[in-house]
Amino acid sequence: MAAGELEGSKPLNGLLNALAQDTFHGHPGITEELLRSQLYPEVPPEEFRPFLAKMRGILKSIASADMDFNQLEAFLTAQTKKQGGITSDQAAVISKFWKSHKTKIRESLMNQSRWNSGLRGLSWRVDGKSQSRHSAQIHTPVAIIELELGKYGQKSEFLCLEFDEVKVNQILKTLSEVEESISTLISQPN
Amino acid sequence: MEESSELPLDAKSEFVDFQWKLGLAVSCDGCRSLKLEGWPYRYVAVMLKVADHSGQVKTKSFEMTVPQFQNFDRRFKEIAAVIETM
Repeated sequence: MAAGELEGSKPLNGLLNALAQDTFHGHPGITEELLRSQLYPEVPPEEFRPFLAKMRGILKSIASADMDFNQLEAFLTAQTKKQGGITSDQAAVISKFWKSHKTKIRESLMNQSRWNSGLRGLSWRVDGKSQSRHSAQIHTPVAIIELELGKYGQKSEFLCLEFDEVKVNQILKTLSEVEESISTLISQPN
Repeated sequence: MEESSELPLDAKSEFVDFQWKLGLAVSCDGCRSLKLEGWPYRYVAVMLKVADHSGQVKTKSFEMTVPQFQNFDRRFKEIAAVIETM
């Protein structure tokens, strides 16, 4: 039985999910054989391979262009008319899948294109530090901030920083400059 | 040029400086259009300068999306508010 004829929407939806996990979200261990045996066990491997490649290609094209509803319909319709393309049932499944997973996939694409570390988390506490005998002040509050940073697909690293009140205020001032810059950017014509 | 390096867990560093850049990413390999909700992808790139226990200054850089940055800003305001009460 050909993969193209096998449609109930469940296997294809499962396949698209797995492809998204593999291609965009960096989930390891998703192999062609795993997908075939789990989702399309009656389809021989030599038939499944091009089918998988076709679906992956379609998903990548849609994601790369960030297709809106109109573009998506036009694109999928064209795919149904192609030689060796997709069926209209398959087009419907793909369309539904993209609409519900679009945002997450786009976010993953952004993350993949960021080669720097990203900020994964921030935790903090404030200590009332007792100063040494040489200081005039006895209690100086100190903020301890732990930043969790990580590159796409890599483990987090942690940066633990100490700030006194002066430095916290210095940062706040800098952050408001950034905020102002962002506002200016928004208000400028594109 | 100071090298960016990892600091071991539990080793506290002293914050020295914070440099920033607001960027717009338009397109990339594998993603013809980096628009998110109609906007080119905006990000805030940060370079922190920190001094470790030996006094050596190192840099650490990272990026935030605009919502992440706004959250970052909010957290610092919370911290400032707490410090002020002490």
